[in-house]
Amino acid sequence: MSDYLTIFMFFLLAGLAIGSALALVAQRNPLYSAISLVGVFIALAGLYLTLAAPFIAAVQIIVYAGAIMVLVVFVIMLLNVEEEVRQPLRLRFLVPVAVLLAAVLFAEAAFIFFFVNEPAGGGGNAVTTLNQAGTGLTANIGAGLFTIYLLPFEITSILLLMALVGAITLSRRAAVRPSELVVPGAQVLPMHIVDPARIGDATPVEAHTTAESAALSGLFDRAHERE
Amino acid sequence: MDWLNNLLGPTVRQGLFQLIGISVAFVVVLMIVAYTVLAERRILGFIQGRVGPNRVGPGGILQPFADLLKFIFKEEIIPAKSTRFIYVLAPIIAITTALMPIIVYPFGPEIHIPFTNISFPLVVARFDVALLYVLAITSVGVYGIALAGWSSNNKYSLMGGLRSAAQLISYELSLGLSLIGVVMLSSSLDLYSIVEQQSGWFGFKWNVIYQPVGFIIYMISAIAETYRVPFDLPEAETELVAGFHTEYSALKFALFFMAEYVNMFTVSMLATTLFLGGWNGPGVAAFPILGIFYFLGKVIFFLFLYIWLRGTLPRFRFDQLMNFGWKFLLPVAILNLIVTATIVFFAT
Repeated sequence: MSDYLTIFMFFLLAGLAIGSALALVAQRNPLYSAISLVGVFIALAGLYLTLAAPFIAAVQIIVYAGAIMVLVVFVIMLLNVEEEVRQPLRLRFLVPVAVLLAAVLFAEAAFIFFFVNEPAGGGGNAVTTLNQAGTGLTANIGAGLFTIYLLPFEITSILLLMALVGAITLSRRAAVRPSELVVPGAQVLPMHIVDPARIGDATPVEAHTTAESAALSGLFDRAHERE
Repeated sequence: MDWLNNLLGPTVRQGLFQLIGISVAFVVVLMIVAYTVLAERRILGFIQGRVGPNRVGPGGILQPFADLLKFIFKEEIIPAKSTRFIYVLAPIIAITTALMPIIVYPFGPEIHIPFTNISFPLVVARFDVALLYVLAITSVGVYGIALAGWSSNNKYSLMGGLRSAAQLISYELSLGLSLIGVVMLSSSLDLYSIVEQQSGWFGFKWNVIYQPVGFIIYMISAIAETYRVPFDLPEAETELVAGFHTEYSALKFALFFMAEYVNMFTVSMLATTLFLGGWNGPGVAAFPILGIFYFLGKVIFFLFLYIWLRGTLPRFRFDQLMNFGWKFLLPVAILNLIVTATIVFFAT
């Protein structure tokens, strides 16, 4: 009975994953694509559950569906991205490349499926070293991360840190920090009248109206020039 | 019972038991949630020096049902310019993700039904990563509000949706970090065994005593996660009309409303389970059934705290909210984590 249930769940989740993945590619609205991707992640988490790896399933949802995709949806909502219009392909040479890459991927999967029966490698393999029955359990993953996989784990952390530092550096490149243009008790100065070069390191100014604070920041003349 | 056992395999029997458990838990939780709304209105009335709803039934006791009927019979409005599919999907996501975590909470210890040989713990599903499951479902819940804000095609709704997404991401971090202290102390993610470890010593084994900072961080982040006063920026009525649910009416609005209160209830249950010893209390060892009342009593205490805060505190400004979350709460949570890890490392 439970075997049938497992197979039924597998086909349900696999179908959901493939269907969502197709929808992800086929949708023209970016937000629909993002939601389809969330569907893919949730279906994958379900597949991990059927493989008796509850920790990985939970982490899959927390990290991908719960954090990364929320940011993606956030950005799509913020930018108010329009529906894409179907255009003729410009880079036509990509079509055979894509077909070739897909063929390689399928060949790889087929090779593993038909020819590799034994787990590759000997003593250093985690699957053989750790208790095989509890591979997906939390304690074993923790132990594995800090013993066998310590180096890859640390390298991945440094990689993520580099990405973080890069993002912060890119976003701080502008001379004007928007938070410093906020004058307590007044409105935020409209960005189109603020000249980043002239304002330099702007400091908060005690003022009560936009015009007053603009005058104190030396922006009043520019505001009139623009008009 | 033997014929029943023979008729159904163990898997099906377990599934049936869990189905019954889920139904009972949902009905109980939804009833408490309905009465939380009434309690909130009455307590707010008391705080603000007025009466509150007291006309439907004796002392207003039937008010939740009157509200429900009203929600059902109001007109469903779908704005013409809205993205219809997502507009309908959003409240469904909100209520589903709000209700899903209920099944992992231990409402009571193992109880024995008199005159039979049946005994079972008062928890629907018990598994290795229950705490992570709760966090995962909670983190998916933001889609309900964010998509509602986007699909309504209304600038106030959109602002509410954006704010909710930003706020949830910010406070999820400190919420998760505040829970790790408890996980390190009990070295388990299973809520049932975390509660069991807190029994005995007349309440001095409760995690709140060993994790006071974590408890306070959890409470603050939980209020922000459920978008309650003083962190209710997504639906700040003075600036955003009603925030993300401006365009929702009738039963769809009711679903959002219910989701908010169910979320309140679940974060209160998590606080009770992890920090206040769950169903532990005097006399539980002799009469396990008392555990339910201790558990619900502690949860109701937290719900009262929420209502009390709503009657007392003004709302944050959005930049204050972000600064507080990232520059104060998160560093304190990390510091708490490091201190706890050091102590646990040297104590064992």
